[in-house]
Amino acid sequence: MGELAQYLVTGVGLGCAYALTGSGLVVIYRVTRVVNFAQGSFAVLGALTVTTLLAAGLPHGVAEGLGVLLAGLVGVLVGVVATGKPGTTPQAGLIVTLGLGVFAYAVEIFFWGDQPRSFPGLPGAVGGIQTHYLLIIGVTAVVLGATALLFARTDLGRALTATAADPYAARAVGIDVVRMGLFAFAVGGALGGLAGVLITPVQQVSFDSDVALVVSGFSAAILGNLTRPGLTLVGGLLLGVVQALVGGYLSTAYQSEVALIFMLVVLIARAGRRDLVEAA
Amino acid sequence: MKWAYAVAAVGALVLPVVLAPGQLTVFILLGLSAMAVVGLSLLMGYAGQVSLGQAAFTALGAYTSGLLSLHHAPPLLALVAAPVAAALAAVVVGVPILRLRGHQLAFATLALQILLLSVLSGAQWAGGAVGLQGLPYLSVGGFELDQDLDYAYLVVGGVLLVSLIAHRLVHSRVGRGLRALATGEMAAEASGVPVGAYRLLVFAVSAAFAGLAGGIYCFFLGYLAPGSFPVLLSIEYVVMAVVGGLGSIAGALLGAALITVVVQLLTSLATQPGMPSYAPSVLSYAVYALLLIAVVLFVPKGIVPTLRRSL
Amino acid sequence: MIEARDLVVRYGAATALDGVSVSVRAGEMVALIGANGAGKTTLVNTVCGILRPAAGELRTSGRLALVPEGRHLFGPLTVDDNLRLGAWRDRKNRDTGHIYQLLPELVPLRKQVAGRLSGGQQQMVALGRALMGRPDVLVIDEMSLGLAPRVVENLAGHLRQRHAEGLAVLLIEQNARLALDLCSRAYVLEAGRVVAEGPSAELAGSTEVATAYLGLES
Ligand SMILES: Nc1ncnc2c1ncn2[C@@H]1O[C@H](COP(=O)(O)OP(=O)(O)OP(=O)(O)O)[C@@H](O)[C@H]1O
Ligand SMILES: [Mg+2]
Repeated sequence: MGELAQYLVTGVGLGCAYALTGSGLVVIYRVTRVVNFAQGSFAVLGALTVTTLLAAGLPHGVAEGLGVLLAGLVGVLVGVVATGKPGTTPQAGLIVTLGLGVFAYAVEIFFWGDQPRSFPGLPGAVGGIQTHYLLIIGVTAVVLGATALLFARTDLGRALTATAADPYAARAVGIDVVRMGLFAFAVGGALGGLAGVLITPVQQVSFDSDVALVVSGFSAAILGNLTRPGLTLVGGLLLGVVQALVGGYLSTAYQSEVALIFMLVVLIARAGRRDLVEAA
Repeated sequence: MKWAYAVAAVGALVLPVVLAPGQLTVFILLGLSAMAVVGLSLLMGYAGQVSLGQAAFTALGAYTSGLLSLHHAPPLLALVAAPVAAALAAVVVGVPILRLRGHQLAFATLALQILLLSVLSGAQWAGGAVGLQGLPYLSVGGFELDQDLDYAYLVVGGVLLVSLIAHRLVHSRVGRGLRALATGEMAAEASGVPVGAYRLLVFAVSAAFAGLAGGIYCFFLGYLAPGSFPVLLSIEYVVMAVVGGLGSIAGALLGAALITVVVQLLTSLATQPGMPSYAPSVLSYAVYALLLIAVVLFVPKGIVPTLRRSL
Repeated sequence: MIEARDLVVRYGAATALDGVSVSVRAGEMVALIGANGAGKTTLVNTVCGILRPAAGELRTSGRLALVPEGRHLFGPLTVDDNLRLGAWRDRKNRDTGHIYQLLPELVPLRKQVAGRLSGGQQQMVALGRALMGRPDVLVIDEMSLGLAPRVVENLAGHLRQRHAEGLAVLLIEQNARLALDLCSRAYVLEAGRVVAEGPSAELAGSTEVATAYLGLES
């Protein structure tokens, strides 16, 4: 297969990880209005856990599943701290999650040290493309599809949307708003964990990989203003592909800047448009 | 509260003489953090903006001083250029990004800092990832500041200067306008407060403070690298500002002092023989995190404003 | 159904309810009237368990549903989804069919997004959402606010019918005439206290109430 096709598949694979991280941010933001700065930590914790589980002899699949599960549980913990105390504003929640992200550093270094780690993914290659990238793409498609169905087709999903739209009315019909928020954090944690577990075989992870991940996830999600899952997926894939192309044809040195510049451009363009609307 | 200021002033003057050499370094670094944090606290408290990129301005100031003095500019000029360059950079990026709010501005400032760091790491003229080395000491009219003690008093002077400027700003028409701006923007806009200009002014002043800290840092240490100004340094500044109390100058100073001292105590504990090698970083991350979370949840106004109210 | 005695509710230091006693018995239709800021919504939110009283006793029995002040529909969801969530507490009874029978006006709207409906349509959906939980008591906060007389008439008609079938109602209304007309008993709330209560006919006859709330000259 040609070079371009390889770059495209690699880019889509990376983009899937960004989309998963970004979707986690979106789920949490929609329901709780908290921008979860610790979103990257879910990925790191999930991935590092998998390294330990695999080393302990657990088979592939089980180890990865447990890593994702752990990330979901950590998500609930983050949610409890960031939203559990009555009267905590979303702004305070953002700072709290920032603190929790730093706390995760302490935990990660304590258990895994500060050196990068990795574990093997799906071996082999198809037409010059690592099979693992195809696995990333397949799993992401299934999981994001299932998440979309959860929101669109189930009463639990409707209740989550309802909580996001109008917490007062949600309480009036008997929806437990705090519980919904924690559920969103669990989903967001699991999505973040999945991103880390999927990407680590092709990209090493260390305790401070979380900043790059949360920034990429945020860049993906900002295209849909942190509320639109579909645009988040588009944003993630776009970022991944552009990064892979920049890395392939220009220089790998500029790869990580793509997400940052993309984010700034989207933010500033949107703010400009908002100003125009307000002035009108 | 008067006595607290007196204690602080006496401490700042006496401590440099009585501290051991290692402790003097900590004292200087504390003062440098305090300068950046006074600026950040002003920005966050009075202009209602969250910045996760304050250390970018420290880096800008440091590199400005470093590059100028490497190219044989007079050191004093190189030092003065640090806050000026930081403020100019703040004005340039501030025009587009200060239209952002809350988490958007937080991420935008973070992105800018990461971009700056990667530009610096890639730039030949800035020494790349190795950075700048062999920088001269600061010298003023033939007198060379080559002792830690000199820098300790220079930093005390810097903190004083920064605090006085911040105090003037807070108690000026600008400060009153900014307070209105942080509490109810629309009302302030309607009453004729030039919201955008004031916000940009605070952003620039806050950047200048960090830039000055960076400039002193460059002469004190004699070398610079992109790695000296990690994202974590910005987060550290935020922790200090929030713990002390946003918008409070005394709070910024107390926050910087408290966090530095606590982390220092823990580090010396963690480097005792028999402690694992990762102990210092684990402990300091945990302290930053737990203090930040505890203060946001249980002392949301920060320590100094809360104490003021209960006294 | 609802039995509140000496309720005290505070927002921080401000006391919004200061010893309020109100009761609604099974099948009864009771009005609560009072000026803006009297504490009506506060009482409603307390009765529905959204606010916690600082003192006093509150007992409720049977199922209770709320039509909140200002409608508060779930804007991004369809009318049908809004209705389904009305039965959130009752996982087995989320079929919306019976609501469309009770409120046929909603049938053509079922797939529409609630946030884009007119005020009158929204109030009808809010009523339907509250009825979805098959309540024994319905609490309606500001039923007629901002609605055209014909729409109010229509809503009132639906209420009468539900009441005739045994539903108890606590109706909060700015339009005191309408409230006294619909309900057999009423409370008058002023600055967080009940200043008058009794059968509607009696209250309508009392000069104070008439001047303050019915706009009549004494
Ligand atoms: N969330 C709140 N925080 C603080 N004070 C509140 C809050 N909600 C209501 N109040 C105050 O409590 C008092 C009662 O308000 P409430 O909304 O219960 O009145 P109301 O009778 O429903 O008024 P309206 O007719 O305008 O709906 C008012 O003085 C109001 O300002
Ligand atoms: Mg009301």
